[in-house]
Order: sequence, then structure tokens, then C-alpha cells
Amino acid sequence: MWCGNIRRRSAGCQQRGFWPSFLEASVKNAHTISSQSPISPSPPQSEQEVDKISLLVFITFSVRSQDIRNTVGNIPMEWYKDYPHIGYDLDGKKIFKPIRNKDELDEFLDKMENPDYWRTVQDKMTGADIRLSDEQVDLVHRLQQGKFGDVNFNEYEPAIDFFSNEVMIHPVTNRPQDKRSFIPSLIEKEKVGKLVHAIKMGWIKPRRPKETTPQYYDLWAKEDPNSILGRHKMHVPAPKMKLPGHQESYNPPPEYLLSEEERLAWEQQDPEDRKLSFLPQKFACLRAVPAYSRFIHERFERCLDLYLCPRQRKMRVNVNPEDLIPKLPKPKDLQPFPTTQSLVYRGHSSLVRSISVSPSGQWLVSGSDDCTVRFWEVSTARCLKTVEVGGAVKGVAWNPNPSICLVAVSYDDTVVLLNPGLGDRLVCTATDQLISSYEEPEEVMDQSVQWAVAEGEGHEQGHRLILKHPKAVRQVTWHGKGDYLACVMPDNGSSLQVVIHQVSKRRTQNPFRKNKGLVQCVSFHPIRPYFFVATQRYVRVYNLIKQELTKKLMANCKWISSMAIHPGGDNVICGSYDCRLAWFDLDLSTKPYKVLRHHKKALRSVAYHRHYPLFASGSDDGSVIVCHGMVYNDLLQNPLIVPVKVLKGHTITHDLGVLDVTFHPTQPWVFSSGADGTVRLFT
Amino acid sequence: MSQVQARFFTENKKYLIDDVPFSIPAASEVTDLSGVINKLLEAKNDGHKHVEFDFLVQGQFLRTSLASRMETENISTEEVVEIEYVEKFTAPQPEECVMHDDWISSVEADSEWILTGSYDKTARIWSMEGKAVMTVAGHTDVNLYNGLSSLLLTASLDQTIMLWEWNSERNKVKARHCCRGHAGSVDTVAVDPTRTKFCSGSWDKMLKIWSAVPTEEEDEIEEPNRPRKKQKTEQMGLTRTPLMTFSGHNEAVSSVLWMDAEELCSASWDHTIRLWDAETGGQKNTITGSKVFNCISYSPLCRRLASGSTDRHVRLWDPRSKDGSLVLLSLTSHNGWVTAVRWSPSHEHQLVSGSLDNVVKLWDTRSCKAPLYDLAAHEDKVMCVDWTENGLILSGGADNKLYTYRYSACVLDAGA
Repeated sequence: MWCGNIRRRSAGCQQRGFWPSFLEASVKNAHTISSQSPISPSPPQSEQEVDKISLLVFITFSVRSQDIRNTVGNIPMEWYKDYPHIGYDLDGKKIFKPIRNKDELDEFLDKMENPDYWRTVQDKMTGADIRLSDEQVDLVHRLQQGKFGDVNFNEYEPAIDFFSNEVMIHPVTNRPQDKRSFIPSLIEKEKVGKLVHAIKMGWIKPRRPKETTPQYYDLWAKEDPNSILGRHKMHVPAPKMKLPGHQESYNPPPEYLLSEEERLAWEQQDPEDRKLSFLPQKFACLRAVPAYSRFIHERFERCLDLYLCPRQRKMRVNVNPEDLIPKLPKPKDLQPFPTTQSLVYRGHSSLVRSISVSPSGQWLVSGSDDCTVRFWEVSTARCLKTVEVGGAVKGVAWNPNPSICLVAVSYDDTVVLLNPGLGDRLVCTATDQLISSYEEPEEVMDQSVQWAVAEGEGHEQGHRLILKHPKAVRQVTWHGKGDYLACVMPDNGSSLQVVIHQVSKRRTQNPFRKNKGLVQCVSFHPIRPYFFVATQRYVRVYNLIKQELTKKLMANCKWISSMAIHPGGDNVICGSYDCRLAWFDLDLSTKPYKVLRHHKKALRSVAYHRHYPLFASGSDDGSVIVCHGMVYNDLLQNPLIVPVKVLKGHTITHDLGVLDVTFHPTQPWVFSSGADGTVRLFT
Repeated sequence: MSQVQARFFTENKKYLIDDVPFSIPAASEVTDLSGVINKLLEAKNDGHKHVEFDFLVQGQFLRTSLASRMETENISTEEVVEIEYVEKFTAPQPEECVMHDDWISSVEADSEWILTGSYDKTARIWSMEGKAVMTVAGHTDVNLYNGLSSLLLTASLDQTIMLWEWNSERNKVKARHCCRGHAGSVDTVAVDPTRTKFCSGSWDKMLKIWSAVPTEEEDEIEEPNRPRKKQKTEQMGLTRTPLMTFSGHNEAVSSVLWMDAEELCSASWDHTIRLWDAETGGQKNTITGSKVFNCISYSPLCRRLASGSTDRHVRLWDPRSKDGSLVLLSLTSHNGWVTAVRWSPSHEHQLVSGSLDNVVKLWDTRSCKAPLYDLAAHEDKVMCVDWTENGLILSGGADNKLYTYRYSACVLDAGA
């Protein structure tokens, strides 16, 4: 600020308004110094300071000579701007501003004409114009240049070090040394005593010996030099390159050069198909060979190869696919089982829905949609008897008791018990007597099924008892003792889906009060008083004595079609419409022990053999699959299931193939009935 | 191996040639060899007519070329091969085709008459020319088996066996006895060589021996509380009860025969053939097979049993061997169950078999791979075959037809 103002002024831009501030500052300095100077008239002041003071003294003196001393003190003089006076003098009288009537023109004229205009400044304290002397102008100039105000001041005088690194002969001070510098320190002694005490007490432990083991060790120091290292084993040698031949030469024999057609063919080929990766070229001399144009490209590809090269040798797993197959005995070792079609029982004109074999194994009964039931001789395929009934036959079941000769036939809403009159004559007559000897009980029970004795022509044909049900009967099945007969009437909305008849007492009971889904088939346990009910997805096992649900088997399939109980009673197979056959081990779990998916289409029927470890399934794809299903007496051993034979013979009619399968009671033979109206025997 | 040293021999004196080895081409077959023999015979006697011969190498008929046969049999080509030649068996000549009303379940013939059983509950007697002589109707159910001259036996599914007396002059049949006792269908009967007893096998697993001698007043004790039955027996002849019952089979008895007067043989569905002592009723031997036996036949000439079972094979057994489950030979060519076998009564190597594949086959045990002749006349299952002493082969089946064939070769060969 200080310098800038002065410079501006020296540049000729003379604004008078700035000058008072300059002077005010200088006056202020003059004041402070002047107030100081009487107190400390210390002679060793620098020359510069002396010079400054002299200048200010001079200025104050020049003001004093007019004897106008302003007493307002160090205040901004703007405060007096609007007043006619500018302050007060020592006597307390107003110091009036000098009359300034100069206008702009006068100012301009003064500037033009007055040669001292540039060195004239206004004193703010008094408002008077002052003309600066030459010395003052010089001083201002020097200060403007950043020099000291005093001309004679040498700022670069040689410095004298009083305290230097050099040891002097004489001390800096003359003071004698203290006494304490000659006697041992008590504080130190106390400190040492404390340390010694701490060491004695064991508070301070001696420093731990330094660890001698090095921080870094040789990784390969203990390596056995004779062992084959993994790294060496993994070494993949680079493929051997072919040595360059004549074709790669810069001057190949002419037969290696490609003709025009060959060259065109080469260019049209895919780069991968080319036999040669380059075109052989001929140059007169090695100097004429140009730089390799694909150099960068090739280097890049080489880098890419190195980068993408597999760093690990892939251990190829050499597994023989044969080993992955579970070890199963060969079907050859599981003889006997049915292998070939032996007999065809022809006679039905429509699809045969159900078949059953007599307990002796001599006769076969089949029920068909042509409203007939036929009895066949098993060994010759001779139809011995045809019985007409009043509707398409849905189910037939031969009484398993060898001392009773009865066949249950279901059609529409009726179940008829037939006496076929085959087999032992005594048994047949005994059966007739058993039925006719029935006596009506005193109190007639209200039953949902009406029992009637067949008479007239029906009796001639073999009809003995007629059971009228409220709904269509789909399946009939006998209990192993031959007295109870279960019938299935599938119905989604009613609780009357399964009824159990007792033939000797002509009684009917409905074992279930609730509807738990559409019943597909039912079966009696061969030994124990259990009853199996298969609904669409579950098989429920009921205890008939305790009258409670014992087990619920989850079949994991969409729609169960058929069910068979192993003669041992601990295993159940279920066929389903989604081509699966589920084997349940009742002791194991409620989930299937094994699920077989060998059929291509929906399963219609499954059956167990009574003695041989065989089971069979018939499907809509026209085939019967026979499996070996060995159940061991040892509870720890799971059943062995091996599919052994696919039996084909039935032709597919209306998208239906095999509708029922059943085994011969004594021989390893399986019967199947089909939609083509035949029954076939496989042996 | 182009030439083979062979020596030909025969047992037939008529066609004897010099006993010297000949060198014959190894590739020669039956017709070539036959030509060679005929040439030699022509050279020997002028009046020789051309005869077709069959050749046996080590007891087996030659069916392929000589070279391949020697290779399979491991015969050294260095040695002289012994080749036997016999006159070729001529094909059986079909004679009659007799129509029935229903399936024919059984057939038996002697030199004059043919007796057939049918599913229409009757037995019929036919003359050799195929004329129906007599119809024996009496069974209430399907009719099965039959027996001897003038006395006829019929067994039926109605669990009875009827003994009939047939007077051929007056052409009348009289039911003499009704044999009751079986609890299942009677599947087989056989008359013993002395013609005083017969044996029956039934589905009830029993074998029963009955007396075959008709007697007038031998009405056996009947349980008194069945008046209806009584009435029936009066119509159908006197009731007869078995002399002896053999039990031992676990399944139905399918076939029974007498090996001699004291020995019985029965085949069953329980996969066994059992030999019984007819006097004591004890089991003498058991032959165990792997399949259900349908039929057996015994040839006293070669002392072999032939069996047909529910597979494709005809098997030959030695009933005397102690380890009774050894098959001597199996003849495989059928495609269905073998339902009937019958040895030739006059030739020790030949038998005939009928099967569910509609074919009757004539076998020679010396050629077990292929039968001598296929008699494919039936249009349905063959149920029964028989072979008479005078060279007549009969077969009946489910096509209701009874075919007869005249087989002359065996008669000629019988003397050999």
C-alpha cells in the first residue's frame, strides 16, 4: 500500500486524494518515534533508524513552524470531512481547513503550469499543501526501490560469529564451575538403587537371548535329489516343430512354387484347411526378401497360444463304463422265468380286461368287454365254458381257497359269484351246498348292497349269487381265506368307495367313513389282517382288527393304476399311469425302495408270483416286463430286483396294450390279457 | 484237404460192396456219396436200380459236406474214415384225413382200428380207412384217453375212467365199469403189458392202479348216503375203486406208462419223471428236469425214455441211470411246447413228436440237429400222436383233424 501509492504517483497519475494518507502515516510514525526518542536515547541505534527519524523530525518541524498542531490524535480524518475545521490546536481552537476554492480547471492549470506540482502533497492533518524537498523525494524514491532509506547503510557487512564450533582459548563466561559438578549425583544413585532392587526382585528380567534361527530358510534344503518331482512329472514338452524344407526356402526349386490355379485355390481355402500356411515365394537373393508382413500378427498369436496353453496336465479319468453299472446277476442265472409266448387263448371279440387263474393252476378265467366270461384250460388253450353276463366285465377273481369253487365277476354295478363247475366235482357240489345252506338271519340288516340268489337260466349257467351295488364296480378281490370279497367303486364325492362282503353270512360292510381320494384298487394282506387301499397318489395300509391307519405309502407318481402285494406281505409294488413301477419295502420306508421305469407307456397291471421270486407288469405299450424280485428272509438284506425279460405279443388296439397280468400259481408262467381280445401265456 | 480215404460198410446184405478204402473228394455231400455207392453197385451187379442212401459218420447222419463234418468231429484226415450207409428213409405218405366235431385230445391205434378221444365228450372208433365205426358217448365232460382192443378205456375231465366192452361184430358198446376215485381230471391211462391192470394219472397228483378185467358182479362198496350217484352208476356201469394209489408227485400227473409188467413210469408238472414199482408202490428212481413234462414215451428197443415238455425240446433219458437228471440227447427243432412223443415200435432210433407249433416231426436219434421229416399238415395245435406196429403214424390236433401217414421205410428197415 505504502509503496504502491508512491509508485502511482511517480507514474504521473497524480490523484491528490491519496497523498494525505501517505502523510498521515508518516506523521504517525513521527509521533511514535518522537514519543520514544526522549525515553530511550540509546546511542547504538542503526543508521537507518536515525535517518528515518531525521526525516520525520524534519516534517514535523516544518509543520510546527507554522504552529498549527492538530490535537485530534490518530483518527481517520474523514470524520472531519463535512466540517469546516480539521481539528483543534493546542489551545483548543479549531483549526480551519485552508480555503480551497480550486476547481477542476484550476487544478488542471496548476498541474500544467506548476513545475513542482508532482512533489506537492496535501497534509491531511492540516489540509495544507506541502512541497517535498529533494531529500524527501530521494528518500521516497529509495523506499520505492526497496532500498534502505539511509544512503550510507551497508547491508552486506561481514558477519562476526561469537559462538562458533571453534574452541576458544578463553571461556565465554568467566564464571567458576559449580560444586555439584565434582560430586556424584544423588538422584542417579537413587535411580540405580531402584533398578538393582527391581532386578533382585525379578521384576526386571534379563534380556531374552537372541533367536539364532534365521527368519528365512531354504525351501529345497531337505529335498531328496533322487525323487522325481511333481514339477518334472508335469513337464509337458513342447511339440517338435517340423524342420523347414524346400518350400520355406527363399529360393525354392521351381516345382515347389505354386501355379496360378493352385495359388487361387489356396487363397480360396479356409486358413484352417490349407495344407501350407504360407505361399512359397522365389527371390533372387536373400537381400531381396522383404520383412515378414505378418510378423506382429504371428507374434500376437504366439503370445495368445502361450497365454491360453493349459498349465496343468489334465488327469483324464479312465472309467470303464461297464464298472458304473451296478453289479447285478445275469438274467441267465435267475432262471426260471417266462421267456417265450407259448399259448394264445383266442375267443373274445373285445378287449379282455381281467384274468384270473384257479388255485390249482388248471383253469383260467377271463372277463371281456364283449359281455362274456370265458373259462379256459391252461395247458391246451381250450375254451371250456362261456358265460354271458349283462355287461362289459371289469374284473374277475377266482376264489383263492382250493376248497371253494367260486369266481367273482364284476360288471356294471353288479358282482356275480359264479360256480364254473370245473375241477373237483366234490368241491363244486360242496360250494353249491355252502351257498344254498345259508339261512336268513332273524333281523334283516339295512345294507347298501342287495344280495340275491340266482335262479333259472342264470343258475344253469353257473350264477349263484348276485350282488347289486349302488355304483359301478371296477375291481373285485378275494381275501386269501376265500370268505371275504372286496369291491371297489371309484367315486370322488362319496365315502362309499370300498365295500367288503362276507360271502358265508351275506353281509356287506363299508369300512371307511371318509373319502380320502379316488380309490384305484384294494388288496388284502396275504397273511395278516391288513387292508391296502390305493388312491391316486397314496397307498394306505389299514389294520382291520384295530380299525386304524397303519401306514401311508407315498408312491411319488401321478396316478396309481394297480397294486400287488408280495406273498410274504412285506413288499408292495404299484404300477402307475406315468410309466413307473414302484417297489415298497414296508419295513424300510414309506417311500419307494426302487422305482422302475422300463415301460414306455402307462402301466395297467402288476402281479407277483406266489412262489417264484418274480413279478410282472403289463403296459399300454403292449409288452409285459418280467422282473426277478428276490426278497430275503434276512431283514438286513434289501430285495434284489433285476429286470429279466420283456415279453411282447399283444398288438396295440385303440392305444391299449396289455390290460392284465397274472402268474400261474405253481409254474413260472405269466398270463397276460390284452386289448386285442387275446390272453397269452408266456413260459 | 481235397481227398479223404473212406471205407463204406453197411449191414444190409443187399447193398454190400467190397471192403476196400476209397479216395473220395472231401467236399462231397450225401448225394455225391450216394452216386458213388450206386456206381459201385451197378458195377457189381447189372440189375441194380438206383437207390438213395444216407450216410452215417460215427453214428451220426451226414447232413453237411464230409469235410466240414470231419472238422467239427475232429476226425483226422490221415486215417481211413468208416462210413456206414443205409437206404434213405422215404417220406411218410399221407393216407387219411379224418374230420372230427371237436378237438382231438388223444389217439390210439392197433392194426385194425383207430380209437380217438375228443373234446366233444365222445370217443370214436374208426377203421383204418377212416370210416367211423362207433361213437362211444357217455362222459359228462371232455374225453381223453383210451386203451385196448374189444375193451376200451376212456378217461375224462369228469374225474372218471370208463371201461367199455366193444363187440366189433355186432358193433355195440357196453359200459362195464366206471372207475371213480380221482379228485381231479384224469389226464392219462395206460394198460399194463399183461392186460390185466391199468394205471391212471390225474390232476390230483395221484397215480391209481385199477383192475382191467371186466367182472359182472363186482360192484364196489359205495357210500350209502348218495342215492343220486347210485342211480347214475347203474346207468354208466358198475363202479370200480382203485387197487392201489401212488402218491408222491407234487403236481399234476401228465403222462403215465408201463415199462414192463412190474414197473411204472409217470411224468408230472412238478418237473419230474418217477419210476414206480407197480407191486409195492415204492419209488424206484426220479428223473428231474427243468420244465413241466407233457408226455413221455418208452422204447423197449433202445431202453430210452423220450419226453416232451413245455419248451421246444424233445429229451431222451436213460431210466436206469442212477443220477437221473442227465439228458442223453435233446432234439431241438420245434417252436412250441412238445405235447406228444411216441417211439417207433419197430425202429430203435426213430420217434415222432407233435408240438403246439402245428408240426409233427419224425426224428432219428442219430440226427439230433434236424428231424428226418416235418409233417406240417395240421392247421392248429397238435395234441396227440401215435405210431402203430404196422408203420402207421397218426396225429390229431386242435384243427379237429386226424391225419394218418404210412411210413414204409421203417418196416423194410426193421429186419436190419
